[in-house]
Amino acid sequence: MKKIITTQAAPSAVGPYSQAVEVNGTLFISGQIPLDPSTGKIISGGIAEQTEQVLRNVGAILEAAGYTYEDVVKSTCFLKDISDFKAMNEVYSRFYPSNPPARSAFAVKDIPLGALIEIETIAMK
Amino acid sequence: MKNIMIPLVLMLTVSLSSCTDKSADKVAGKRVVTLSTTPASRPYSPAVEAGNMLFVSGQIAVDPVTGKLIEGGIEEQTRQVLENLTKVIETAGYKRENVVKCTVLMTDITHYQVMNKIYMEFFPSEPPARAAFAVKDLPMGALIEIEAIAVR
Repeated sequence: MKKIITTQAAPSAVGPYSQAVEVNGTLFISGQIPLDPSTGKIISGGIAEQTEQVLRNVGAILEAAGYTYEDVVKSTCFLKDISDFKAMNEVYSRFYPSNPPARSAFAVKDIPLGALIEIETIAMK
Repeated sequence: MKNIMIPLVLMLTVSLSSCTDKSADKVAGKRVVTLSTTPASRPYSPAVEAGNMLFVSGQIAVDPVTGKLIEGGIEEQTRQVLENLTKVIETAGYKRENVVKCTVLMTDITHYQVMNKIYMEFFPSEPPARAAFAVKDLPMGALIEIEAIAVR
């Protein structure tokens, strides 16, 4: 019933989780951090670059599972620093220009590998 | 005549739906729920429905009229958040009883008891599944944010 999604176009998992799991037309994408899929390392750059890389990773997993950004119904954005909220929004809105998903966003204490942002995603079709 | 009628009917439908508080767009199987008070510039929707499932964005204690965070402590903010949440849920055509899961984010875990007291007023029986925890910071300096999933 559940299908594990694996793609080399997105970073490999850095722990005991799948990149995404699909069940009955719902895709649960694990929290993505700004890893470069080719090096497996956090990209250099600030919140704008990191947000862009995270959302590209999300896009690669969506594509591997046969979904698109338009199918995304919910995002959760974890920030290292709440003052990055506005800059994150600017990049985020380019990936979801119309009919954007429901979303929650907040700052947490720490994100794995010292990332500035992590985004988890649910898509449905 | 038929060719003229179709666009007319479409226009009527569009103008009628914009008169209500709910504007819903069917995109790729998902329905986006917006309120008349939702700023157009926001990169998230108040709620998105797919199938019989409603994902409600994290709500903070913003006054829907002024768009600013209300005055007051955790008690007032929790009440405002749950009123905002209810407004989105009802605009989408759901009821509070349809909520199956909430996530409660607070900036201070010592607010847990007071939050629970107000929360119980809104979910007095058969309350949803829930996770609650303290985070580092919330947008606009809010004390509490609550997101919800409803199913009907």
